[in-house]
Amino acid sequence: MSELRISSIETRGVPGKKRYAMVIDLRRCIGCMACQVACKAEFDVPLGVFRTWVPYKVVGKYPTVRKMFMPRLCNHCDDPPCVRSCPVEATYKVEDGGFVLQRYERCIGCKACMASCPYNARFMLPRHRSYTNITSVVDKCTFCHHRVSQGMVPACVQTCVGRSRIFGDLNDPGSEVSYLVNTLPTQVLRPEEGTKPHVFYIGADRNHTEIGRTIYDPSDVMNAERVMFEKNQRS
Amino acid sequence: MGDYTVFHLMPWSGAYAIYFFTIGISAALFFFSTRSWFPTGQALVPIRTSAAYVSFALLAISGLLLIGDLSQPMRFLNIMNPAYLNFASPLAWGGLNLISFGIASVLYIKALKQNDEKNAKFFGVIGSLLALGLPVYTGFDLTVHQNRPVWNTPLMPVLFVAMSLVSGSAVAAMLAKGKEAALAKLRWHMLWEGGAVGVMLIALLGTTAYGGSGSELTFILMTSGSLGLIFVGLGILLGTAAPIAVLLTSFGRQHAGILAAAGLLLVGGMALRYSILIGGQIVQTYF
Repeated sequence: MSELRISSIETRGVPGKKRYAMVIDLRRCIGCMACQVACKAEFDVPLGVFRTWVPYKVVGKYPTVRKMFMPRLCNHCDDPPCVRSCPVEATYKVEDGGFVLQRYERCIGCKACMASCPYNARFMLPRHRSYTNITSVVDKCTFCHHRVSQGMVPACVQTCVGRSRIFGDLNDPGSEVSYLVNTLPTQVLRPEEGTKPHVFYIGADRNHTEIGRTIYDPSDVMNAERVMFEKNQRS
Repeated sequence: MGDYTVFHLMPWSGAYAIYFFTIGISAALFFFSTRSWFPTGQALVPIRTSAAYVSFALLAISGLLLIGDLSQPMRFLNIMNPAYLNFASPLAWGGLNLISFGIASVLYIKALKQNDEKNAKFFGVIGSLLALGLPVYTGFDLTVHQNRPVWNTPLMPVLFVAMSLVSGSAVAAMLAKGKEAALAKLRWHMLWEGGAVGVMLIALLGTTAYGGSGSELTFILMTSGSLGLIFVGLGILLGTAAPIAVLLTSFGRQHAGILAAAGLLLVGGMALRYSILIGGQIVQTYF
């Protein structure tokens, strides 16, 4: 892997260091959204924002048609642009493990990290929350750092009924994620951005993971949903 | 049809475009005020003081706009904490640039009030270099996001410098009132810098149209889509091409013509900044 490493922040393939990664087998995902719910419950994620979410697209043409689910989350990039762009180092990468985390007490809310993330993995927490006093700062998936550091897997992985999400140390050649990444064809989202994402997909079709032309002429349903979403976010 | 996605908000709202606009004008006005101390800028002497004051007022407004746009406004102090600063971020450099430009402006205005030519020249040159840094850093703010169509081009800092000079000369022309020599000098600035913006916009449109699926969609949205009227209508046609055409006519050499062109350039400057800022974010909200 050394030939791929261009910056000192990258930890994949570095001896003696862990580099956690997630493999999502899209063939196994049934779109039950349990991962989304588990994540919401684990972190008290407010309404309207998500650390992980599962969009879907209907692909094919009747009768050969299916729903393609695409679980999404922070890609915990090996070369994360959000870490570079934060002016006050509120976002940082844990060297041993590769987690990209957030220092809430330091975040000024300039949203530069949100602008730099190619995966829309970051969101602004609302001003008022019922049970948590972390407000008006940027938040994101942590790969459940608090659970992983205690030997558990992330909440979304734990709850996935189809075992679609697999988590582990990519630097450990004996781990399941290493086996899957090394032996099966996997895809990452937007590899052209050079971020070296560490969420790998099995069975993703780049034609459907790219930004589509429907944006230019979105259906009325999509527009109505969008208007409602933005209204809720701003209220 | 039948697709479901979670929508995302644009991180940087239109308020940032106002900041880009005011900070660009502030930087250029400071430069024109300083230029008036040197032999090649003698024509600008009548606007020396007013340009310096307006520049400082706009700097203060820009600072407040920037702080007000933070979700944690009081933590703007974090950007001055050396233990926190991340020099890989253009925002960190921008924060330092703004503060140092503010200090240089105060010292320059003090020397100006005392009619201390030596110090005014000294702080003017230092301040002008820092002023140049303001549009450069705002351009870099956008450029560094490699996933953003329109923004991610080395053209952006240069375009912002040119737009800053155009908008600044337009405001300076309004400050010059009936001073013929100053107006003639500023007309020259508006014409050439407006032309430079026009050339860069053509290059920007070209690279955006041929830049991959996200860029191509952004090009469509910016030209014939939701931003078409603002970007092409107000920004390119009414705010860049029309004032250049006016300035080239005999009417454009008269006081009224120069002021009309200045007004159009200001409309164009705001429209271009807004559409470039928003244009780079639309497509991403659907990803």
